[in-house]
Amino acid sequence: MKVKLIYSRGVVEKPILADIVLKTNVLINILEAKVNAQKGELVVSIPATGDKLKEVLSLFKEAGVQVQEFVETLRINWDKCMACGACISPCPTRALSFKEDWTLGFDEEKCVACGICATVCPVKAITMP
Amino acid sequence: MSKNVEELRSIDEINEKIRRGDVVVLTAEEMIKLVESSGIEIAAKEVDVVTTGTFGAMCSSGVFLNFGHSDPPIKMTKCWLNDVPVYKGLAAVDGYLGATSLSETRGFEYGGGHVIEDLVSGKEVVLRAESYGTDCYPRRHIETVITIDDLNQAILVNPRNCYQRYDAATNSSDRVLYTYMGTLLPNYGNITFSGAGQLNPLCKDPNYETIGLGTRIFLGGGIGYIIGEGTQHSPKSGYGTLMVKGDLKQMNSRYLRGASFYRYGTTLYVGVGIPIPILNMRVAKTAALKDEDIIVNIRDYAAPTRPDLRPIVKKVSYAELRSGKVFLGDREVPSSSLSSYRMAREIAETLKKWILEGTFFLTKPIEPLPRQREFKPLKIRGKELRVGDVMNRNVVTAKPSDDIKSVASKLVEKGIDHLPVTDDEGRLIGIVTSWDLAKALAQNKRRLEEIMTKKVITAFEKESVDVVARRMARYNISGVPVVDKLNHVIGILTTDDISRKVVGGGRVTP
Repeated sequence: MKVKLIYSRGVVEKPILADIVLKTNVLINILEAKVNAQKGELVVSIPATGDKLKEVLSLFKEAGVQVQEFVETLRINWDKCMACGACISPCPTRALSFKEDWTLGFDEEKCVACGICATVCPVKAITMP
Repeated sequence: MSKNVEELRSIDEINEKIRRGDVVVLTAEEMIKLVESSGIEIAAKEVDVVTTGTFGAMCSSGVFLNFGHSDPPIKMTKCWLNDVPVYKGLAAVDGYLGATSLSETRGFEYGGGHVIEDLVSGKEVVLRAESYGTDCYPRRHIETVITIDDLNQAILVNPRNCYQRYDAATNSSDRVLYTYMGTLLPNYGNITFSGAGQLNPLCKDPNYETIGLGTRIFLGGGIGYIIGEGTQHSPKSGYGTLMVKGDLKQMNSRYLRGASFYRYGTTLYVGVGIPIPILNMRVAKTAALKDEDIIVNIRDYAAPTRPDLRPIVKKVSYAELRSGKVFLGDREVPSSSLSSYRMAREIAETLKKWILEGTFFLTKPIEPLPRQREFKPLKIRGKELRVGDVMNRNVVTAKPSDDIKSVASKLVEKGIDHLPVTDDEGRLIGIVTSWDLAKALAQNKRRLEEIMTKKVITAFEKESVDVVARRMARYNISGVPVVDKLNHVIGILTTDDISRKVVGGGRVTP
């Protein structure tokens, strides 16, 4: 599962994530991180399901971290998309690829909403919500 | 050329079969499959025509327009469509709108390519023009709204389309490059390429046995013609190009798309499809060439040099590029196209359908295209300013062990801001500026090596001042040490040197 973790000023300096990894043995993967003295935002992938996942999420909440589920990463206007491929190789997580029939494939699970695809799309077929 | 090869069929015979409704047409992909399953002999015997297609960014594209005369009439000397400048060095109401012409109000977002797409889509476009007024054309200003139906002619004339193949791009530098080959990530972060490879028209007849002046083609969803070799046509090296024309009014915006490359500019994606009549065995063989057989260079766009001098990182086939990953050394680098293979396939299929339906007949070229042409670089005559002409050779340097206070007094005494730091052999290992010294003072640092910048932006003596000035602006620095191949400091170039010794146009003032 992919979530966004929002650290407020009070907790930004604590090693919360490392602590939870040690406690739960779930190898949380950081996909994107923006941290400064005021606040921090991490996009992480949590390779767990069921009770284990619930445990991880509640530990974050107890530590004062706001947990946001990833609702929508990016929007692709399929009428505009020419399937050129310009967005594919810059994508850092390989969320974009060609399908068998050479149309564009998008794996939302891998997307970290970095927005580079929206920048490079020559016909503005990709936008960030 | 075709004298020593037995003719299998003529274009007249093929057209007769199209009329009768028993012509055999395959797309280039289908031809490849047939050759794989049944062999080239059978394929050459059975197949009359192989259709090809490509759909990519083709910057050398544009449209000749005739607006018609207003009353009173105007001799348009300047003209804009949706704020995009139209070339007006033609008769009163004729103009040429090029794909890369940028909007004066929207910049990179919108340009000639977009206007062409809007016209083809039937959208309204704002026409604005100015003139000095003459006795025969008294009007001096015009502003109105037009659609493609209002134009007398809208003729797409593209000086260079349909590159036979195109070198792929990567980036060895440590910063993102924004190019006409798309966004290139640092440290060989990705590879981009263009062209449909095994579907590419000129790859299927590289000897120009069937493609020539007057060849009827699929262009932008309508009918077009090859009107000659394209600019930069370089057939001998395998980089042939075509000049094409067609009636924009008959075209379809699905196959003409205005596009914009981030921080580069605008262009037009053009769909071109060419029928290859299988006149003889040699054409049958080239028509069956596969992605695996078509090789291009991957070039490093980090070098600010002429395209053909950009270092070649690797030679690869279109098959490797299209696989999505290419090995550079032992590293797997993601690769992706900028042109659409899916659209190229659709174009080859559409052309096939037209021929089978009997609505598209093949033409015999009036003249072949040149098979020999040299693509020459532009030589710069006269003196162009090099770093060596402007740099200060009496460069003051320091050693890493130097005391900060003595360094500070050196800067004051010589009236300079930049101090390259060298090792005992005079090789560059760092740089300090007066700003670094101020910082050192504030932080109570003592030795130079504690405060110097170790990653130094440098220049070579033979580099153009223009290129180095752009580098300084990009890194927001005011001076660069000039080094030789062994990294010995031989001079220093500062923005002061440039502004003092250079006046616009790169000329040295006395």
